[in-house]
Amino acid sequence: MSRNYIHYAGQEITFNPGESVAAALENAGHISFGKDPLHQPTRYFCGIGACQSCLVRIDGIVRETCITPAAPGMRVESLEVLHD
Amino acid sequence: MTKADIIIIGGGPTGITAATELTEAGLGVIMVEQRHSLGGAIYRQPVAGVANLPGPAAKRWKVLSDRFYKAKVPVLFGHVFLGIDGDGRVLIEDRAVSKVIQMRAKAVLIATGAVEKIIPRPGWNLPGVSTAGGLQVMMKETGRAPKGRILLAGNGPLLVAVAAQMAKLGNSPVAVIEAGNPLTQMSASIGLMRSPQLVFEALSYLRQMVASGIPWLRASALTGIAQTENGLLATVRDKAEKQMEFRVDRIGLHDGIRSNNFGLPQSYESVTGKPLILHAGDCREALGAGAAEADGQRAARNIITALSATQASSADTIEKHRREHVLLARIFSPAKKSTPLSNLPDGTILCRCEQATVGDLKKLCNRSDTLSGREVKHNGRFAMGACQGRFCADNTAALMAELKPLEPPPKAQDLTGSRWPIRPVSIAALMLAEDGDE
Repeated sequence: MSRNYIHYAGQEITFNPGESVAAALENAGHISFGKDPLHQPTRYFCGIGACQSCLVRIDGIVRETCITPAAPGMRVESLEVLHD
Repeated sequence: MTKADIIIIGGGPTGITAATELTEAGLGVIMVEQRHSLGGAIYRQPVAGVANLPGPAAKRWKVLSDRFYKAKVPVLFGHVFLGIDGDGRVLIEDRAVSKVIQMRAKAVLIATGAVEKIIPRPGWNLPGVSTAGGLQVMMKETGRAPKGRILLAGNGPLLVAVAAQMAKLGNSPVAVIEAGNPLTQMSASIGLMRSPQLVFEALSYLRQMVASGIPWLRASALTGIAQTENGLLATVRDKAEKQMEFRVDRIGLHDGIRSNNFGLPQSYESVTGKPLILHAGDCREALGAGAAEADGQRAARNIITALSATQASSADTIEKHRREHVLLARIFSPAKKSTPLSNLPDGTILCRCEQATVGDLKKLCNRSDTLSGREVKHNGRFAMGACQGRFCADNTAALMAELKPLEPPPKAQDLTGSRWPIRPVSIAALMLAEDGDE
């Protein structure tokens, strides 16, 4: 059953098919999704893709977690995570 | 380039109704929806295996969606509307491949719905604080109530609905803080009796709240939120001006709704030589789901009339919904004069994306020359950030008006303007856009 997980902050986070990335992260207890470029915490806020408060990098691309459906193996990272 | 007679932006009640009408009239419609399911916020669909929340919404959605599915309207899911360029090309980002596509149509119907109004309070920007509607759509999607101790606060009937739905899913909020005092608004309440469905829905939510023992503090306001080691500390001023505190894990704020019309291209309902552009539903006038359907129908019939040169008959039922909306607003009108935004501590965040504060705006407005909305945006970065003013433009304009009472009051639109892209899009996605005309 637990093939349905995404990667976030070194964890494997399970989700129900169809759920948004935000739903999966919140259900795993993440109230903040890391920091944004102004070093402010990101988080779920409006739920409709309007406020841009829940941005993360999904497989390398900045996305709203609230309108992006979770998919098996997805790599979710905070905006602050830097790569070499 | 993809072509259609009509492109509809948004798969909520307005878009669904319009798409069905237009397809049934023989026109070619393509619907663009940012999510991977239809319904908008009001009819947000549960994921597989999860039941709909109780309430009349599920029944209404079935009626709407059955007719829509029968019309077999093509829907582009996971596609985000960016705007319409100067040549009338509709710009859409296909999120699955991170690429902008360009489309042409004879008419574009924009039905992007509403956003919640959130009045700034110290700490409204903390993690754990969301909109009450945000908590609600999450419940609709997952069938789970938000976890921990939850406080709902602000103004309007949505708070009662969210409280009742949370109770039903097994985690009642610790309290609902409501600025209005609906139980004292007798004449408006009697007026609402002409809308028995609304009254029935409201009473069922209230019954659930009472049965679950959820305190409903009316004529009260949430005045500040602080982060502590043990969650969020919310300060509330009650009807008798007594201060009280709630220690909670999450807070759902809601101060009404307003059109999600930020940056949208202007509507041209009858100009020839350009694509018709229509705004319909909550993004034209935020009146709720019933009016959204009626307005979708109105817009569809205007398009049919314009494109086929035949007059499509249209019974205007929007007025009825407007009347209901006005009554509800009266019932929930704040019991006390609202505290001026200029009384907020200087450090209170107004524009979260850019971390611009009440104090920052006061400094800008203390200059001898008066800055326009546009100048406040450019000099102070208000409404400049990723959300493009969706959660700060109203409040910034309102505080500007308070600070310069002798000047004509600025509008949110002065800050946000009207331009694409209305949503953040990567340069890479724009670079991949196929080359416009043929």
